[in-house]
Amino acid sequence: MTSIGTGYDLANSIFSPDGRNFQVEYAVKAVENGGTSIGIRCKDGVVLAVEKIVTSKLLKPGANKRIATVDRHLGVVYSGMIPDGRHFIDRARDEARSWRDTFKTPISTADLASRMGGYMQAYTLYQSVRPFGITAIVGGFDSTEEAPVDGEVGSGPACGAGGKVAGKTHGGPFLYMIEPSGLYWGYYGAATGKGRQAAKAELEKLDLGGPGGPTLTLEQAVKEAARIIYVAHDDSKDKEFELEMTWISGADGPTKGCIGRERLSVGEKALDEDEDEEEGKEEKMEE
Amino acid sequence: MFRNNYDNDSVTFSPQGRIFQVEYAAEAVKQGSVVVGIASKTHAVLVAIKRNAEELSSYQKKLFPIDEHVGIAIAGLTSDARVLSNFMKQQCLGHRLTYGRNMPVRTLVEMIGSKAQINTQHYGKRPYGVGLLVAGVDDQGPHLFEFQPSGMTEEMVAFAIGARSQMARTYLEKNIDKFADCDREELIRHGLRALKESLVQDRELTVDNTSVGVAGAVKADDGSTKVEPFKVYDQQDVTAWIESVADDKEGAGAGEGEGMEVDP
Amino acid sequence: MDHRPQAWGRPRDDVYGAYDASYLQSGGPKTATQSPIVTGTSVIAIKFKDGVVMAADNLASYGSLARFTDVKRLRPFLSTSVVGFGGDVSDMQFLTRHLNELAIDEAYEHESSPTSSSEDDPNAPPAGQLNAANLHKYLSKLMYRRRNDFDPLWNQILVAGFDSASAPFLASVDLRGTTFTSPSLATGFGAMLAQPIMRRYAATEADAARLTREEAVKVVKECMKVLFYRDARSLDRYSIAVVTKDGVELSEDEQLERQSWAFAERIKGYGTQTV
Repeated sequence: MTSIGTGYDLANSIFSPDGRNFQVEYAVKAVENGGTSIGIRCKDGVVLAVEKIVTSKLLKPGANKRIATVDRHLGVVYSGMIPDGRHFIDRARDEARSWRDTFKTPISTADLASRMGGYMQAYTLYQSVRPFGITAIVGGFDSTEEAPVDGEVGSGPACGAGGKVAGKTHGGPFLYMIEPSGLYWGYYGAATGKGRQAAKAELEKLDLGGPGGPTLTLEQAVKEAARIIYVAHDDSKDKEFELEMTWISGADGPTKGCIGRERLSVGEKALDEDEDEEEGKEEKMEE
Repeated sequence: MFRNNYDNDSVTFSPQGRIFQVEYAAEAVKQGSVVVGIASKTHAVLVAIKRNAEELSSYQKKLFPIDEHVGIAIAGLTSDARVLSNFMKQQCLGHRLTYGRNMPVRTLVEMIGSKAQINTQHYGKRPYGVGLLVAGVDDQGPHLFEFQPSGMTEEMVAFAIGARSQMARTYLEKNIDKFADCDREELIRHGLRALKESLVQDRELTVDNTSVGVAGAVKADDGSTKVEPFKVYDQQDVTAWIESVADDKEGAGAGEGEGMEVDP
Repeated sequence: MDHRPQAWGRPRDDVYGAYDASYLQSGGPKTATQSPIVTGTSVIAIKFKDGVVMAADNLASYGSLARFTDVKRLRPFLSTSVVGFGGDVSDMQFLTRHLNELAIDEAYEHESSPTSSSEDDPNAPPAGQLNAANLHKYLSKLMYRRRNDFDPLWNQILVAGFDSASAPFLASVDLRGTTFTSPSLATGFGAMLAQPIMRRYAATEADAARLTREEAVKVVKECMKVLFYRDARSLDRYSIAVVTKDGVELSEDEQLERQSWAFAERIKGYGTQTV
């Protein structure tokens, strides 16, 4: 940060002579101080997990959820400034709703990521606002079923115009990560927050981006996500934490295409009981 | 305290990713007198120390009913609190009118959280200079939430904010396991003991400076839930409670050295 | 002949006479919906001791034309309530989408609560979720507001489920925002034809509280048959929903059984009768 003191970092939307927007970079710093969030896109679903640092013993355990549902098939987790994350989610819900209003069908994960990327980017453009102090991970399962239009009452014509191409598939699990600059990419495995380096190293060991698509199943991914959050947690420096995670599958999987239907929130002491915990999860998933 | 280049407004990040204006607003909360909240399985309680500007003036209210089932305790700028309180009253009333039920407390708290967050992201606005404890009951039982100027809202088992509130929090942390099964009266007494921890030497709880607020949802034997609406008690209504905690030393940690430390 | 570009493609005044613009009604009040277009007929429902049964046929009529024969007019809400729609089908679709959004909104709050279901009863619906009484209140405010905007949603709606005291709940709201509740309810022709039959079994709340599920379903099926006999805008394919504490059982492709049209022979007074 050699440019501190030159004055180019005092307001948002100002380019420094070497083409940087310092305020956005500082916002990234806020993200890097936050608890680790990760997302895994696997063969048959998406897993989101977050390390919630317990800032006070007086917090009600398990009550303060950080992973939010945006639409039935979409979830968001984020690292950084939590009130900013709440704002982000409010907006994402508005986007999902207005998409339904307009198109009578759920928004796809890619479209939501695009809308929200645009929204974040807008907060880097003006001196009158500051960038978001969060990096958000958006996970969703776009329906592979032939989805009816919202509010449809009958079955419609069985044949004729509007027919589908035989054998063509659509939908599936998707994962995006959006940064304070508004930049977003699709990911096989995404990590942000304090422990992102360790988490990324672990994610890269998983078989997520192979040429034939990921081989990791949802069930395995749930276990890996839990493990990675523990690995990314710095026992020596950080306080206690709660692990919160959720996952989503297609309509034929354990969550029936809806996110948030199954959710896990465990305290730090679960580390020792990791094995038991995993078994508990398996039971749930076989529902 | 020195000024730096990054603390002029709430739309500037410091190189460390902090927003000083928001942190300063949190300091305003510590200027207010202390308020304590605790929730059990059946009740949510708020207790507060009221201040008077001078001997002959009246005491500034600290507890406010929002709706039948919710009340707040404030620490910081009272006029900012009034803005939030009016907003919460309207939202609760609107919800009651449209759906015919109590507004869920979390929904209500997240609304003011969102409202406060906006003030931390736009130039020309300032963060609210007030912290709240929101206590209430809804279909899921009693709740206690903390609201901060940053827009952060969290559900707590028990909490204290305001001047010298660290001592009250220490008391609450020591007794946290007891609260869930406390009955109404025990819970209030725990609140008052926590409050006493935060008092300056030579000061004590009096009928003039103490407020108590309670909401409850007690399950009857037939499975139905009886809701005790949020009510604030002042003056002679709190006499018995103050007397009941007057001399007891049950509050572990009372009188210990740490009790004299200054609010960090 | 008029060769100006403005006249291109228009009927020639010298052949067809000047264009009669009177129907365009340049003056007069702004009007919204004046009548329903594609309509569904009766919805009927009756309470029983553990819940509510509701039924509606699967027909959407365009005037007297039986236009759509597979229209589902009963909609579950949050798997704890059922909403039945009579009247305009496109307004019903609007409301369905609206309720879908409401249900998604509810899920935001509901899933973030640690104690989502009651501890002692795992089958109980999650505490804090909108129940049928809340939903009915909401719909009544919505309908009344639209009526005051002079842009009503042209429906008669029945809402079935449970109230906050976990008792069976059944109430109606119509395009005027009128609300009504009773142990049995019916909209449209059902109010004339089915309601008297249902009242034989559940005239009072006490009667309804004695009715078993089987009895209630039987009464409703009987009423659907009577309605098919006598209501010319009805169909013999129908949907039936049973709401209990365990959730909503919705069957959308029922067929009226054991019809007997013998009575029709005795009906006199219209049609091609010779005697």
